[in-house]
Amino acid sequence: MSTSFDVIVVGGGPGGYVAAIRAAQLGLSTALVEKQHLGGICLNWGCIPTKALLQGAEVAHTLAHAADFGFTTGEVNFDLKRLVKHSRDVSARLAGGIGYLMNKNGITVVDGHARLSGKCRLAVQAAEKTLEYRADHIVLATGARPKPLPGIEPDGDRIWTYFEAMVPEALPRSLLVIGSGAIGVEFSSLYNDLGVDVTLVEVLDQLLPVEDKEVSAFARQQFERRGIKVHTSTRVTAIEKHADSVTCHLEGADGSTVAVTVERVILAAGIQGNVENIGLEEVGVETDRGFIVTDPWCRTNVAGLYAIGDVAGPPCLAHKASHEGVICIEKLAGVADVHPLDKGRVPGCTYCRPQVASVGMTEAQARAAGRPVNLGRFDLQANGRALAIGETAGFVKTVFDARSGELLGAHMIGPEVTEQIQGFGLAQSLEATEQDLARAVFAHPTLSEAMHESVLAALGRALHQ
Amino acid sequence: MARIQAITVPKWGLTMTEGTVSEWLVEEGDTIAIGDPIMDMETSKIVNVVESIVAGTLRRKLAQPGDTLPVAALMGVVAEADVADAEIEAFIADYKIDDKVAVAPAGADAGGAAPAAAPEPAPAPADPAPAAAVSAATPAPAAETAGAPSVPEALKGGDDDSGVHATVHARRLAAELGVNLNNVNGSGRNGRVGVADIEQAIVAAGGSVAAKAPPQRIPEVNAAPVDDSKVPATSVARRLARSLGVNLHSCRPTGRHGKVCRYDVEAAHALASGASAPAAPTPEIAAETAPAVQAVPMSGMRRTIASRLQASKQTIPHYRVSMDIKLDALLALRKQINEGEPGVNVSVNDCVVKAVAMALVKCPEVNVQYDEATRSIQRFTDADISVAVAIADGLITPIVRAANTKTLGQISTEARDLATRARAGTLKADEFQGGSFSISNLGMFGVRQFDAIINPPQAAILAVAGGEQRMVVENGEPQVATVMTVSLSADHRVIDGAVAAQFLQVLKRFMETPSLMLV
Repeated sequence: MSTSFDVIVVGGGPGGYVAAIRAAQLGLSTALVEKQHLGGICLNWGCIPTKALLQGAEVAHTLAHAADFGFTTGEVNFDLKRLVKHSRDVSARLAGGIGYLMNKNGITVVDGHARLSGKCRLAVQAAEKTLEYRADHIVLATGARPKPLPGIEPDGDRIWTYFEAMVPEALPRSLLVIGSGAIGVEFSSLYNDLGVDVTLVEVLDQLLPVEDKEVSAFARQQFERRGIKVHTSTRVTAIEKHADSVTCHLEGADGSTVAVTVERVILAAGIQGNVENIGLEEVGVETDRGFIVTDPWCRTNVAGLYAIGDVAGPPCLAHKASHEGVICIEKLAGVADVHPLDKGRVPGCTYCRPQVASVGMTEAQARAAGRPVNLGRFDLQANGRALAIGETAGFVKTVFDARSGELLGAHMIGPEVTEQIQGFGLAQSLEATEQDLARAVFAHPTLSEAMHESVLAALGRALHQ
Repeated sequence: MARIQAITVPKWGLTMTEGTVSEWLVEEGDTIAIGDPIMDMETSKIVNVVESIVAGTLRRKLAQPGDTLPVAALMGVVAEADVADAEIEAFIADYKIDDKVAVAPAGADAGGAAPAAAPEPAPAPADPAPAAAVSAATPAPAAETAGAPSVPEALKGGDDDSGVHATVHARRLAAELGVNLNNVNGSGRNGRVGVADIEQAIVAAGGSVAAKAPPQRIPEVNAAPVDDSKVPATSVARRLARSLGVNLHSCRPTGRHGKVCRYDVEAAHALASGASAPAAPTPEIAAETAPAVQAVPMSGMRRTIASRLQASKQTIPHYRVSMDIKLDALLALRKQINEGEPGVNVSVNDCVVKAVAMALVKCPEVNVQYDEATRSIQRFTDADISVAVAIADGLITPIVRAANTKTLGQISTEARDLATRARAGTLKADEFQGGSFSISNLGMFGVRQFDAIINPPQAAILAVAGGEQRMVVENGEPQVATVMTVSLSADHRVIDGAVAAQFLQVLKRFMETPSLMLV
């Protein structure tokens, strides 16, 4: 087997495997090194299996409201193991699919742990033997992992990270989630729907800190209505572990303290790049706060070395990683008209209930950037389809530049908004104005009509409110 | 209506000069109406159905299947049933091709256009630019008479400019003219480079922008070589126009804000395609296969390699000179550079390129091409080194230009980029055409020594084998050294043996004492 390639990608997640496929498509000889699972965190421990679990939560929610639609359900039993198995099966099936894609594209998959042993050189350790590989271009896509907090180290038993939260043996009675980013919020929503008493703690002053304030406030209100206890501007200062419980000491911004005792804690206070033990020091790769420093074409400071996805810095999202993978490969292969990633146009989706999705600037960011802001907002209360499915909690908010008509940002909360946000993403990338969007025909009856109405609202002519 | 009418070879597009009869679809004595399919005809581009533009009884089939006839040639005669045979014979005898072109029938499916015949020259499309109409009829020379712009060299070179803030139009113009955007000051918002900035920079640097660069592709009927990048159009329309060969100037904009939209391009295309034949896909011919032997058709690249190298080997009086070169000092230097500077990763081959370039400057007699036509020797000032890169089903030789003026780091970065893009098939023609000297390196395969065939019109090529530890005798003592054997193939018509040997001596000196490359 050859040990010399045009391109070697380290890491088989959504950044790495996509980069490998693109390289192979362009006729470059390509290898992919993965130490554990093809598909990476996304397929095995992140995006995909959580969505499978959240579908269970959705069923629980539907059953709880079955009476609204005329159904009498009687006693409902829930087998957690079956739900977890469904989630694992989905992951296994998709990861198998990646193996097929690698094979189909003629990509050599190397199992093992890769470490830079020099410029354009990798030492891959598998079992007890180490093999040397070389490539003109090495793409690091090693991803990220949960960031521990000082004094709150995950122990796999009472203090979980998403790994343990994904495969619970049994449902805890109570749960405290540290961090209200997408991961923390999704697990809070999931476990709450499954009947667990959930407390959510966020150090910043709003739930979902990267989202628009209005969306965050609305999500918080919905969460609290469901019985989730939300503490913002609050830090977990200390924890005490007991036989089968944990006491968390919380401190608010005003100095007030409270102790909460729960069965399990989920630590979801951010992630850090996997920059250790891959030989970065060996060749002198520049890093910054735990992430590899790259230029707009994903090049590091070292000749022939590139970094994409989480390890190259936020936003740490699978689709950002995939996109960077394509940009990186196309650029090094000399494909014409490659554009650098505009990080302001990467959509973000959170699969809590109600779902949250956004792209571009929040209202506050737009104002801070000194843009003349023109806002549109439309409430799902007035959307026929939302009423029909009994999910009217939510709204669409659009932020336009009043001068140019540019869509600066779009923020959605409500049912299936994660499936709709790319409508605004397209508009942004095609530089459509609010006028262009207003002229587009949106099908009736759909949830997406609220998108249209929000644009019309920005023009002062919403039809249904 | 005349009582006797001709069926002639139609003219399906400007470039059609003749057609070959495939098959008659009607028989003598049949009654045919206007628009009836009467024949299959093959041109260099397509097989199409000839539709009748006359009505009556087919009295004579003059053309036979397989006949190749010029446009407007008589293929058959249609007349009323009561016309006497003698009259028809007289008509045939009197028939002349001249001025019959105008009645040639149109193709049955010529882009969905009305089957009206297009007189020649093609009608000028509704076009604001008169030059476009003129050049529509004679596309090729128009670009030349307009005069090429002259872009000063100072604007051309430079680092990758894909990060420079520039408008789409400016970027396209820069690509056309070969201007590196790093050399242009932007005057737009946030320093964005516009078309005017490029034109201004060219004039300021002593060049001229009197005319646009000629278009890269041969335009279809409507696509006059007039730059339409400034015509406001939707993205879809622009791309469709390019693929249909329609110039946006010839489209009537009906979109918002005066933009040309898809419909406008399609309308312009339909208008023009009365005179333009749609290109037909080339039929694929399955290769016949014998049981145990697979006949693999040669790719275009393979055929080029085959013919060029065969010609080289047959016509150029090759001879070879070999030399052993000790690499220890060079390897130490390389290690020092690679350990000291993260941004470069110099390979042994990069060092060979650098040393060869410097040796060529010292020995200009080797840095030559042979011009067979004028029996002259083209001697180059700079060393443009063609580096052979193996790619799927062949090889290609991208060029490190003026390698004598570049640092090892620059050569290394450029060579890696060229090699990768060679494998991805994204090299531009000027990146692999030309070159004053070639290097072929098979060292990575553990080759101890080999000879290469000259890459014409160059006059020499260096075959580089792998470095390996060998016992060498120095001052009567055996010693271990890392040694590489290089072999120079030279064209004896222009390079004599002693010159080749001197060149290798200089090369050996640079490689064995690499610090000399600094002075």
